[in-house]
Amino acid sequence: MSVFMDLNVLFSADRSRMQSLVETAAHLGFSTVAINYVFEPTTKKKQEVPSPVPISELIGQLPVVQGRSRPIKVLNRLTVVMSEASHFRPNATEYRAFDLLAIQPTTEKLFHTTCMLCDVDIICISVTEKLPFFFKRAPINGAIDRGVVFEVSYASALRDSTMRRYTIANAVCLMESCKGKNVIVSSAAEKALELRGPYDIVNLGALFGLSDADSKEAVSSTCRAVLLHAETRKTASGIVYTRISQQEALQDCVGSEAPAAKRPKPT
Amino acid sequence: KMRAGAEEAESSGYQRVVLKNASPHQYLKSDLPPRVLEDESARVSAIDLKTFITSCLRSLFGEVGAALNVDVLKYDEETLTALLRVPSRGLVKLWSSLTLQGFYQNRVCAFRVLQVSPFLLALTGNSRDLQLD
Repeated sequence: MSVFMDLNVLFSADRSRMQSLVETAAHLGFSTVAINYVFEPTTKKKQEVPSPVPISELIGQLPVVQGRSRPIKVLNRLTVVMSEASHFRPNATEYRAFDLLAIQPTTEKLFHTTCMLCDVDIICISVTEKLPFFFKRAPINGAIDRGVVFEVSYASALRDSTMRRYTIANAVCLMESCKGKNVIVSSAAEKALELRGPYDIVNLGALFGLSDADSKEAVSSTCRAVLLHAETRKTASGIVYTRISQQEALQDCVGSEAPAAKRPKPT
Repeated sequence: KMRAGAEEAESSGYQRVVLKNASPHQYLKSDLPPRVLEDESARVSAIDLKTFITSCLRSLFGEVGAALNVDVLKYDEETLTALLRVPSRGLVKLWSSLTLQGFYQNRVCAFRVLQVSPFLLALTGNSRDLQLD
């Protein structure tokens, strides 16, 4: 049984709001949250990639997860909204400060490049607009082989009925193409009230077209796979390190390979 | 309760009975706690709750969803905890429409579902509230 994680909690400078967000997440039963810094580069002026605020400054005492004895884990994540291929620079030094990297492609060509080439962990599917392109099996299967996951977020569905339609439409489209593998569902919550419990999200997965097992995986074991993938990405290429695991003792890590310890179930 | 099939008696002399779809209803215990509503002075009566649930179902699933037979079995106005009953085939619809509801009368709200079970007895205890000391 894997733990529940919510890998998308939007960053805001308001410290009390972040505090209440993390506390609510811990109360609902999420063992890990990732604070998401959204970066949208425009070609007009050069923008700095935001650097993450250290967790200890942002949130005082990490609350204990309900039902477990450990405090909640808080990670940092960067989402780059790409409208051009030059927006994402691989191996940039600013990206090292983040635990997770995500990309939100806006065109079909970029989606293809992101799936096949880019060194990221998560590909965000936009939910606030009608999908500008159709999903094709080829890049999606390429991404699944590499260990990259697709993310659907549900907070915009809470705010507006039009957004709800877009979320469900885009999610259903994605599930048809990827057959329910390598998907995570997360909130893009700005406030504590926009968070929902893990089993509620499992039920939402049924609405998006996922089976029961896939739906639960979308909140638990696939998220864990993302974290492991992010760790392998961080340790650069060609480094061999050992992992304490029942299956294997040695893991060879070259670039962005899905870790053998936790792979999505081949069906 | 329907008995869908009875396996043959095995050599050890017992009979295995398989119950499929044993329970026609699913029970949902949910919470709309005062602290979750941004405006804490909200008073929600049982009738308000029933209309609210029907409107949630209607906004997500339309008239067909709103026609779902949801019963409010118990409602506590102080803690805003409700016990709902729904036919088993409608559980996903009800649960997802409650989850995706963000507003109650222009106030931000969050419906938290505490327990779901096909058996009402199972909703009496909650291991999350267990005090281990």
